[in-house]
Amino acid sequence: MSKPSSFSLRGRKALVAIKDERDLSIVRRQLERLGIDVRSWEPGHGIEPHADIVLIDDEFLPLNSTIEHIFHGGVPVVALLGTETPSRLKLLLELDPASFLVKPLRSAGIYAALVMAFERNGRTNELKEQISKLEQRLRSRRIVLAAVLQVMHLHSVAEPEAFALIRRAAMERRKTIEEISAEITARGSSPRAAG
Amino acid sequence: MTKPSIPVGILCSQSGPYQAMGREILKSALMAVDEINASPDFDFALTAHVRDPRGIIAEYHTACDDLIRNTEVNHLIGCYTSASRKQVLPIVERTDRLLWYPARYEGFECSDNVIYVGASPNHNVLPLVRFVLDNISRHIFCVGSNYVWTWETNRVTRELVTAAQGSILAERLLELGESAVEHIVSEIVRRKPPVVFNTLVGSSSYDFIRAFHSATTAAGLDIPMLSCSLCEPELKIVGPASAGCITSSAWFESIRLPENRAFVARWKARHGEGSSPSVDGQSAYVAVYLLARAIQRAGTADIDEVRRAAVGYRYNSPQGPVWIDGETNHCVLTPRLAVSNAQEQFDIFWEAAAPVKPDPYLSQLDVAVLPSRNEALPNAPHLRIVK
Repeated sequence: MSKPSSFSLRGRKALVAIKDERDLSIVRRQLERLGIDVRSWEPGHGIEPHADIVLIDDEFLPLNSTIEHIFHGGVPVVALLGTETPSRLKLLLELDPASFLVKPLRSAGIYAALVMAFERNGRTNELKEQISKLEQRLRSRRIVLAAVLQVMHLHSVAEPEAFALIRRAAMERRKTIEEISAEITARGSSPRAAG
Repeated sequence: MTKPSIPVGILCSQSGPYQAMGREILKSALMAVDEINASPDFDFALTAHVRDPRGIIAEYHTACDDLIRNTEVNHLIGCYTSASRKQVLPIVERTDRLLWYPARYEGFECSDNVIYVGASPNHNVLPLVRFVLDNISRHIFCVGSNYVWTWETNRVTRELVTAAQGSILAERLLELGESAVEHIVSEIVRRKPPVVFNTLVGSSSYDFIRAFHSATTAAGLDIPMLSCSLCEPELKIVGPASAGCITSSAWFESIRLPENRAFVARWKARHGEGSSPSVDGQSAYVAVYLLARAIQRAGTADIDEVRRAAVGYRYNSPQGPVWIDGETNHCVLTPRLAVSNAQEQFDIFWEAAAPVKPDPYLSQLDVAVLPSRNEALPNAPHLRIVK
């Protein structure tokens, strides 16, 4: 099965918070053309539990805490700018928007802003995952070092050879170097005997 | 009694790299204007104010501005390339005028101030590529002019071909108006691709088709060529080398509808037995009629009322029934496939069973669910002669 076109947005759900009726109707029309399911939100109303993307008007900022959570759930945000003053931009930046549109809106630009927001969000999520993996590995460096020292001591080998032994053991048992190292240090044993 | 006059602007380049196409659009638009002015069905006359931006992008902006300021038109017909339309767009949006755009284009635009009368990408690229995948090959050699029409057509082609486990063998681009085509033709003769997709426009395309025909004939090769834009006046410009090109279009001169026969007969009476309208010219003719009928129904040239009156109103045009889809401002029309013959005409071998809704953002295209080759393609064109 091939990957679906990343430029087709059909079937996605958008939560739209736009104050001006004309802007709202332009967004609604354009999103419907793209096959996107549109839910509108106004202050004081409940919030849709699930949305794939949020378009928010700077007129609604700052947000109250009851709905703020939706902007911190990894959903891409498209900001609608009425003014470029730093005070307004500062409020918007808190929502970490993935792209933006300048009001008054026209149909041109909306599709590009959405594609860019989805793409930016996808890449940001990938980066976040990569960073958390790297942080995990960084934390376990201490354990790997302890395991290398232990193997050097037990087998009277130099550091490169000790590390090679640990890596081979990890490969043979289909585990990460960090996991094998944790086992070695926990049991005080050599790589082969570990586990 | 003279009928009250309504001014309309016509923006067509009559010189520059795509002058042939611009002239055809102008000729057909003026023919429609004259017919409407002579017809008792319309209680007004259209006064055409023609401007020639000479194929120079910046001049579209100036000409459009001049038409709106000095002739007070509410409606403009014209533009050919997307670059020219994008020049005019900010002015028509700012001044709230309506541009009736006749050319087929690559989609991904939906202005409320434009009526897109030509084919959308789901009308032209999709049926052509699906036909090729189903009947010729999954491996396509692309050659085109280096601008947005080719880039986007190739992007869609690549998605469809890749989903069918095929490949784009090459993507060769030439600048608009470029005539040095020999290196690409030599590469084709050397690599012998199963099919060549030509998205060149204007003189580059004519030079390429002639060179391709003579080189492949000399090498004893029979490589089919595809096009989404080739039209009858171009077949006449290119000459005998133009035969055998598989072309996707909503209009061909050979459509056997009474409305089309009458249209072609009127055209030939006006421009000579040996001449032919072009697809975009026919589309400009349709645009003028859609506009005039909407003005007649609305009782005014006011753009909001004209738009309201125009949407959904079915017009039995030369290409068959056409109407404007209110969701997208693009036209519902009937896609067709044909192959060019030695008489500089097209033999139509497939047409959609019914007019097809425009999908300018290809939002209904899901390449993941397209069946791969050798499986049944429910909506795919199959070879048959359309009488």
